[in-house]
Amino acid sequence: MKLRKGLVVLTILMLVAGLVLGGCGQKKPEAPKEPEKTVIRFAHWRGEDKAAFESIIKKFEAENPTIKVEQSIEGSEKHDTKLLAEFQAKNGPDVFAVMPGARFANVVKGGWFLDISGEKFLDVVKPHLRLPGQDGGKQYAVPYQLVFNDPVYNKGIFEKYKLEPPKDWKGFLALCETLKKNGITPIIFDSEIGPGQFMNPMLMNNMPSDDALVKVQKGELKLTEDWFVTTLKQFKELNDKGYFQKDVLGTKKAGAAALFAQEKGAMLAQGSYMMASNKQANPNLKQGLLAPITVSADKMKYEGIHTATFMIAINKDSKNVEAAKKFMAFLFKPEIAAEYANATGQMLTISGVQYKTEELMEQAKWLEKKTLFQPRYMITVSEVEKAIVNSIMDVIGGMAPEKAALKAQQEVDRVIKK
Amino acid sequence: MRKYWPLSFFILPGLLMYVIFFVFPAISALGLSLTDWNGITPERNFVGLANYKEMLTNDPIFAQAFGNNIKYMLFVVFFQTLFSLIFAMMLVKNSRLNVFYRALFFLPTIIASISVAFIWIFVYDPSIGSLNTFLTKLKLDFLIQSWLGDKNIAIYSIAVVQCWAHIGQVMVIFIAGLQSIPKSLYEVARIEGATPWQTFRHVTWPLLAPSATIVVAYTTLQSFKAFDLILAMTDGGPSYATEILSLFLYHQAFNHYKFGYASATAVIFMLIVASITLLQFKILRANKVSY
Repeated sequence: MKLRKGLVVLTILMLVAGLVLGGCGQKKPEAPKEPEKTVIRFAHWRGEDKAAFESIIKKFEAENPTIKVEQSIEGSEKHDTKLLAEFQAKNGPDVFAVMPGARFANVVKGGWFLDISGEKFLDVVKPHLRLPGQDGGKQYAVPYQLVFNDPVYNKGIFEKYKLEPPKDWKGFLALCETLKKNGITPIIFDSEIGPGQFMNPMLMNNMPSDDALVKVQKGELKLTEDWFVTTLKQFKELNDKGYFQKDVLGTKKAGAAALFAQEKGAMLAQGSYMMASNKQANPNLKQGLLAPITVSADKMKYEGIHTATFMIAINKDSKNVEAAKKFMAFLFKPEIAAEYANATGQMLTISGVQYKTEELMEQAKWLEKKTLFQPRYMITVSEVEKAIVNSIMDVIGGMAPEKAALKAQQEVDRVIKK
Repeated sequence: MRKYWPLSFFILPGLLMYVIFFVFPAISALGLSLTDWNGITPERNFVGLANYKEMLTNDPIFAQAFGNNIKYMLFVVFFQTLFSLIFAMMLVKNSRLNVFYRALFFLPTIIASISVAFIWIFVYDPSIGSLNTFLTKLKLDFLIQSWLGDKNIAIYSIAVVQCWAHIGQVMVIFIAGLQSIPKSLYEVARIEGATPWQTFRHVTWPLLAPSATIVVAYTTLQSFKAFDLILAMTDGGPSYATEILSLFLYHQAFNHYKFGYASATAVIFMLIVASITLLQFKILRANKVSY
């Protein structure tokens, strides 16, 4: 019993001595705490740009050690759906990409854009290129990529047959005929994105005003009018004369791109955004851009189409607005933008960017041309857009232009309840 | 009865899940279908039955989608059932070769629909697709089609892909049904001098009826609710030729942001599926066979 008591006393003494001696020792220096990082999320749909953005983000984080940027990427359609759901749950990304037109209008409707009017980083984007990101006089998003929705053409084939981009509709038809006679498909067209792309240069000089499609959705102009029916007739003419490849409506975007890369066609009716991937598929390909001029040379108003498909914006409900603005400003620095452009092959809206690839230098020539902002993106009611695109498919599928125009107008009337 | 009431607690988790994930969304869809909600702004106005009226009386795309649904369903139900039965009868014996072929036919079932769609987009491509190239090589040029571009055949072209992807799966059900038929019945038929057709007609088919009913019920619902394959292959095009109800609903909600209207479509869609299920349930009960 005595022994046990002794043991207890001894243990207590040892513990007290340990504590006292420990307390007398030097304080261990605390490990330096990492500064708390602000995490911002950047959401977009361009999976092909992941590596380029990763490299840019690394540089941004090195320059701003207190900010961490997370990239979240979804396919373009899922991106929109997810974005709206996240905004409603007040859990949206801090910085995000958005398309112009109907999709931009939806985010404006939800009130989820932070007004970035007057921000310094906007200065590097020419005022007319900022327009697609504006609503009610406020700048909500800034176009980052500059796309020319004009057919891409194979310069090698054109040189072989001594062809030049034509200046009028007659010339365009003659060009197609020469190509066809030499066994080359003049235009590779696809049913997936082709009608929505090719309709823009086909319409640009036929429309009675630049905002004709806006007037259609307001009920002020009709698709059954001469300007639209003429455009459909011109589509029909190209199809009937065999200037598109066989079975256009069964060809998907990837199939069309493959045909063009294999040099089975002279023009690809998509846009400048295809030039980098075409080159990747066929490194020997020399490409240029040309738009069909659907009127006589003296009536030409525009040489081509431009658009912005990757607009960058900040979430109004972001808890890290300052960090988000810093990141956005970083993306718009010309040297950073140049890194992105040359890595992804995309032309940008930013002034002072040095382009290095052959394709980007070719696109840069179009900055000086008179181009119209993509009419399709001026439509903010998606059903109206679909009705117009479908009328082109109907004509290519064999429907008379007048009937296709009437069908489209009936759908527009139903949607806008006129 | 009283002594069993504590057992009801065992069904509570399942019931709770059912209420949260089915009953509640179904009721909320019903509520939303009476509004003009755009899915973006919080405002929603009560519009009564306007969405239903518009859909059922004034929307040609809804009518076309419903018609496409029926065409798609009938094609898939007939050909998927027929070919899976033929393959099942060919591969019913458990030999090594048959087991290999069963696995081979089952393989497309485990491939994701999106991958199946991409494979077939290239098969059907009119210029570089293997199907038209194959037909050209066989000098069967007259059979060459714009498989996904022709409004009259696009829906059937996708239905073929649906059959290709699921025949192996349905075949397994038929094989199980065939293997459960007592061999003695075939012996009797053989002794009685029945021809192969008579054996099929009077022995195999009647005893396979329960399996066939399950197959038809499953295939009907599966084809009626098809979505991802069509979305990836044509997205409802060209000119709504392959738009079916599920896709119509999706486009209304996520392309046109008409969530109220899409909810009304969902309610109608749910009613159609429920009616088909009920009808099939009755047929299934009537087809019970004993021997």
